[in-house]
Amino acid sequence: MYGGGNTFEKLQGTDLQQEDPQQLAEFEARIQRGEKIEPSDWMPQLYRKQLIRMIEQHGHSEIIGALPEGTWITRAPGFKRKLSLMAKVQDEVGHAQLLYAAAETLGKPREQMISDLVNGKSKYSNIFNYPAFTWADACTISWLVDAGAIVNQLANSRGSYGPYCRALERICAEESFHLKYGHHAVTYLATGTAKQREMMQAALNRWWGPLMHFFGPPDKMSVHSETLMRWKVKMASNDDMRQQFLDMYVPKIYELGLSIPDPKLKKNEESGKWEYTEPDWDEFKRVINGDGPCNKERLAVRRTAEERGKWVREALKASARKYVAPLA
Amino acid sequence: MNKALKELLYKMADDQLVLGHRNSEWTGVGPLLEEDIAFSSMAQDKVGQSYQLYQMLHQLGEQEPDTVAFMRNAGQFHNSQFVELPVGEYDFSLIRHFLFDHAEFLRFGMLSECSHEPLAQLARKIRGELKYHVMHANTLIKQLGTATEESVSRLQQSLEYALPYALGIFEKSPYEDELIQQGIFAGEAELQKRWAEQISKALQPTALQLPSMNSLQPITGGRRGQHTQHLQPLLDEMAEVFKIDPAADW
Amino acid sequence: MSEEFIKSLDPRVSRMQMPADINEQPLQKEELDQLVTYQVFMQKKEGKNFEHAGIVHAPTQELALLYAKEQYSRRFTCSGMAVAETSAVLASPVTDGGLSVYELLEGPAPETDGPAEAYEVFHLMKRGKQHEHAGSVEAATVEEAFLKAKESLTPEKPVLNIWLVRRSDLLTIDEEDKDIWQTLPEKGYRDAVAYKASDRLKEFKEKN
Repeated sequence: MYGGGNTFEKLQGTDLQQEDPQQLAEFEARIQRGEKIEPSDWMPQLYRKQLIRMIEQHGHSEIIGALPEGTWITRAPGFKRKLSLMAKVQDEVGHAQLLYAAAETLGKPREQMISDLVNGKSKYSNIFNYPAFTWADACTISWLVDAGAIVNQLANSRGSYGPYCRALERICAEESFHLKYGHHAVTYLATGTAKQREMMQAALNRWWGPLMHFFGPPDKMSVHSETLMRWKVKMASNDDMRQQFLDMYVPKIYELGLSIPDPKLKKNEESGKWEYTEPDWDEFKRVINGDGPCNKERLAVRRTAEERGKWVREALKASARKYVAPLA
Repeated sequence: MNKALKELLYKMADDQLVLGHRNSEWTGVGPLLEEDIAFSSMAQDKVGQSYQLYQMLHQLGEQEPDTVAFMRNAGQFHNSQFVELPVGEYDFSLIRHFLFDHAEFLRFGMLSECSHEPLAQLARKIRGELKYHVMHANTLIKQLGTATEESVSRLQQSLEYALPYALGIFEKSPYEDELIQQGIFAGEAELQKRWAEQISKALQPTALQLPSMNSLQPITGGRRGQHTQHLQPLLDEMAEVFKIDPAADW
Repeated sequence: MSEEFIKSLDPRVSRMQMPADINEQPLQKEELDQLVTYQVFMQKKEGKNFEHAGIVHAPTQELALLYAKEQYSRRFTCSGMAVAETSAVLASPVTDGGLSVYELLEGPAPETDGPAEAYEVFHLMKRGKQHEHAGSVEAATVEEAFLKAKESLTPEKPVLNIWLVRRSDLLTIDEEDKDIWQTLPEKGYRDAVAYKASDRLKEFKEKN
């Protein structure tokens, strides 16, 4: 579950000057032809660096993303929800495994990535720094945060790096279950008793702001990079993804008789674009820099999991052999 | 026959549900991503199996699975005390998985010949997933039980702590003779015998010392509704949302 | 004491008893506790070719296989699985633009008298897709195995990358244990099709 956003570094004018012009031309021609890059191919340093950063953040977002919904894993109401939520949270862990594996093919070991996450050196999707107060929050995440993630992941699966595309192919297949499950759970609340409806509306009100943040700042504010677009690292603009999300899901939310806490939200019939109250981007920056309601807890949980698991990994390592980065 | 069969189904279903619930506490915070995923699958298997057993009870006239699982109090649960203990550190969770899942695999193996056909059928259907549980448990115990000083001593301590509780799995039912005579289940004593053999065999290639079973006092009572202080809070937590409105569709 | 622990909305997390200042010290990792990686190959149905699925981290091949089962086949149909340590996979260069990697290999195979071993051969037919099992060859050396694969397995379409794995380096699930993939049909909760909210939604819309 990953939304993208301003996760790219600014390009330096000198970054590409050190690269061999002929190799660079061949590399770009390959991407132009629509062929994927495989780990053993030559690639510019910048491409490698930005991809590691992006895929690693995506992986972190999955493993941290397991926590807000995990909040309700022991309390899901009824057998069906209990099993579904267990399977869904498990999938997020599985996705992290797949994504870290894709990033590993670029030369960064998985434990290094996890270590950077725990030490606050690398980021994850901002939305997971918000709390899941009630069961309805968990359902909202399952439906709408996953819906947002699918918009982003489908775009990224058309990117240029082979191992990332392979991981996303599997992930997107599993997300279709998440989306249906989430919609199902939300539908039961929204069409249920007065109490259930109230829970559901309150949760949607809480999550709308973070959902609007999910795709990152507007294009005019974020680092614009033609190079990353040309290299098919960044596949869609933040605003385009946000528009796509609103197009697909606002009608489905209204269909459930729920309201959206933004009086300005409406589709401009002429431009075909959604108009909305500009989300609070200062809050976004504050939260991404560590000052959100749950940043501290999320990292603490991950760190505690690492520390409690240390003896297990040490013991497993006792008989293990030398680490080799995965091939594909 | 109904009473005896129901008692058997209840204790099995309650064991599976409570342990599956407990083990789901590790989902997302396990010691290694791959282990986290495997352990979560096994927790789901347990909850899924308990659902099947409650469903069978429902067909025998008991209430719906959701009602039975989410509305009873601790005193009405028939699980062994072993499964309700907190997850603790991973060494304890792993040892419990090892000790419990061996018993579970053997129990369902014996039940695949059961004269109550639906139970025999279920036992045959889940044989594969139970086999995986035992393979996983044996492989990890072998690995960690031979690795470092810390891993061996952690597992050894957990094993010694867990064993008396594990023996509580085999607490005899008041209907023991009836179950045997009617070809439903060959009995707890027989199961325990087979289990002790398997446990001892699986620990052979490790540095772990299996205490003599005869010297241990089994911790029983769970089958009669007597539980530790841990079960009621577990059930309250599990039913927190469900009980907001038990009549609602969630 | 309890006020010094992080209190969470998640009861599991509250039970972890995490000190409130836990994040203040950097996590000490003297050495990365990084395990070996294994490449996982999976057969979706009897009769289909094995395909590369991904990797797992594991300490031993035995555990790698058990982990691979849950990571890669917990929701897709599966009838067989094999794992090989990544370092045991012998990879050719990767080509593109319609050039088959076999064209880069010059034959004939050198004469060798060593004992022959079986190699499994995997082909990558399209960049961004997975390697698929193409067949097996018997050879005394790796060079010979590549050349034998060229003689006996070259498909019409260009092969962009070849992986060779000695059969002895692959661990598979035993025939008698293949029942671990037999599971309850009630596992549907993992599939999208199990969630149909349309009737309930329709009924709701009609009432309102």
